[in-house]
Amino acid sequence: MKIIVLCKAVATGVSDVKIAAGGKAVQYQSQPLIMNECDEYALEEAIVLKRAHGGEVTVLTMGSITTQNVLHLGLAKGADRAMRVDAQVQDSQAASIVLAAALRKMEYDLILTGTQSRDTLSGLAGIAIAERLGIPFAFAVTQVEMDSDKSIRVLKELGGGRSARVKLSLPALLCVQTGIQRLTYVPPARMLRARQQPVRSFSLGDLGLTEDQIIAQGYHFLDVFPPTRTGQVQFLQGSAQEVATTLFSKIKEVM
Amino acid sequence: MSRDILVVAEQWKGQVDGITYQLLSKGAQLADSQGVGLSALILGHGLDDAVEVLKDKGMDTLLVMDDPELEQAGADVLAAVIAEAVRRIDAGLILIGYSLVGMELAPPVAARLGGALMTNCVNVEFVDGGFVVIRPLFDGTFHARIVLEGTGPAKGPAKGPAVVALQRGPTPTGQLPSKNVSVQPMTVDLKAIPSGSEVLELIEAPVSEIDITKADILVSIGRGIGDKDKIPSVESLAQALGGLMACSRPLVDLGFLPSERQVGSSGKIVAPKVYIACGISGASQHLTGMSDSKMIIAINKDPNAPIYQVAHYGVVADLFDIVPALTEAAKKGKAPD
Repeated sequence: MKIIVLCKAVATGVSDVKIAAGGKAVQYQSQPLIMNECDEYALEEAIVLKRAHGGEVTVLTMGSITTQNVLHLGLAKGADRAMRVDAQVQDSQAASIVLAAALRKMEYDLILTGTQSRDTLSGLAGIAIAERLGIPFAFAVTQVEMDSDKSIRVLKELGGGRSARVKLSLPALLCVQTGIQRLTYVPPARMLRARQQPVRSFSLGDLGLTEDQIIAQGYHFLDVFPPTRTGQVQFLQGSAQEVATTLFSKIKEVM
Repeated sequence: MSRDILVVAEQWKGQVDGITYQLLSKGAQLADSQGVGLSALILGHGLDDAVEVLKDKGMDTLLVMDDPELEQAGADVLAAVIAEAVRRIDAGLILIGYSLVGMELAPPVAARLGGALMTNCVNVEFVDGGFVVIRPLFDGTFHARIVLEGTGPAKGPAKGPAVVALQRGPTPTGQLPSKNVSVQPMTVDLKAIPSGSEVLELIEAPVSEIDITKADILVSIGRGIGDKDKIPSVESLAQALGGLMACSRPLVDLGFLPSERQVGSSGKIVAPKVYIACGISGASQHLTGMSDSKMIIAINKDPNAPIYQVAHYGVVADLFDIVPALTEAAKKGKAPD
């Protein structure tokens, strides 16, 4: 069983968001990058599947050398190999073009990733990749069972506590739901060892892609702003007792 | 050229999901402003009741694909059926819910149509001959306004129809205009659609002993709680107020609380009289589950937390200072004089 986990590197926090030159994209002030939490669950599931059924796990990310921290975490958690596509993209569709091209050069039975990244919040890259590769997919997966060499059975959430059991032929791509496994702690010594392991990188040229094939197309940004507050929040000040007294009287008013 | 607006209805075992009415309300507004028709598509099996319910909800055309085989159909097949409906209607904009179901369908539908895809949208408007969406970025700390190019009627180079996936928002209050709807059965040869997935079983939500959707007061906790052993202090507040304790998704993922307590798009949709969010930052998936609450009180140390976008009262403080004080106030307030 060859499993590839797609892990996105995201900023730890957000500061200084601005519209990039040309008004077509948003730029974040680059911070130390960490693994997108949703994708970390995909990694944990891949390691569990490998322990149960054998095989190997490869972590794949995209971005500059600063994203390698994410790959080291993957190796420290038990992945066998790490790969990086050296490319900067502006949106999830462009990411799906690049990652699908990289995956075509790799061998896999199963591709795992999270449901959403905390920066774009679009939740579409995983399935867009499956579409480009022409393989079956499932979203918000909470359980994976191996059926045979040729298929798997998964449980996926449909919202409101409802779910569906789905059979998929392999190879397939799964966007796993958060909480599918518990996140494991990595001791610093293991992280240090992981930093010694090699990381292979692809350039866009290696993938047969050019810069203009991965420019976000079909839309442009008008502006970026703090969200409007629909509730017109009133902030309460004072000691804990004063605040509590005010809150309790407000609660009594609506009950 | 019509370039209608098409709403993709969401249903579970023949029952229409509430997000559908929100999409229809938005679709009706956009269709009016553009002078085009509004269509809806419902697909599944055993849809007679759903069709009755939907019929007078403001659309001109209701496409109904009712086929027992759809119950086993994977998302790839459903996406192909939706794309086929878009071609038949000649829709220029497809509105779909940004629910777990819609999140799985929107990308393959867009891929088959070759147009733009915008997901997780808070709103979509028709401005200066094109569609403009508003959607969040980075934990919902920011919103962006984005123009979908070439989406106006007969404007610019022909592009594939755009797919916009809208977040579950506050329930629309206004009546949808009743129109002379044309209900059109639709058939598609499902066997001709290549598919690598098959639904084996649909599973109802587990029946739980506690039902947070019935409570008048919910005291809800998020990641800000920190440790599992801090939960009893919040539970005391819920008890003192005569309400129930609820939580956001991360606490279920951490194994702190069972999923029956979870509020959000992947948990329960609640609208109590009072919702007290303690240490909840307010990811959009949480906000969509509680923004209809009558009064929302948020206690969070971060004044920029998205929860304050929907809260009526906010307390920027440590929840472990406020929660015990409020518990005391509630106990005193209830005690007979």
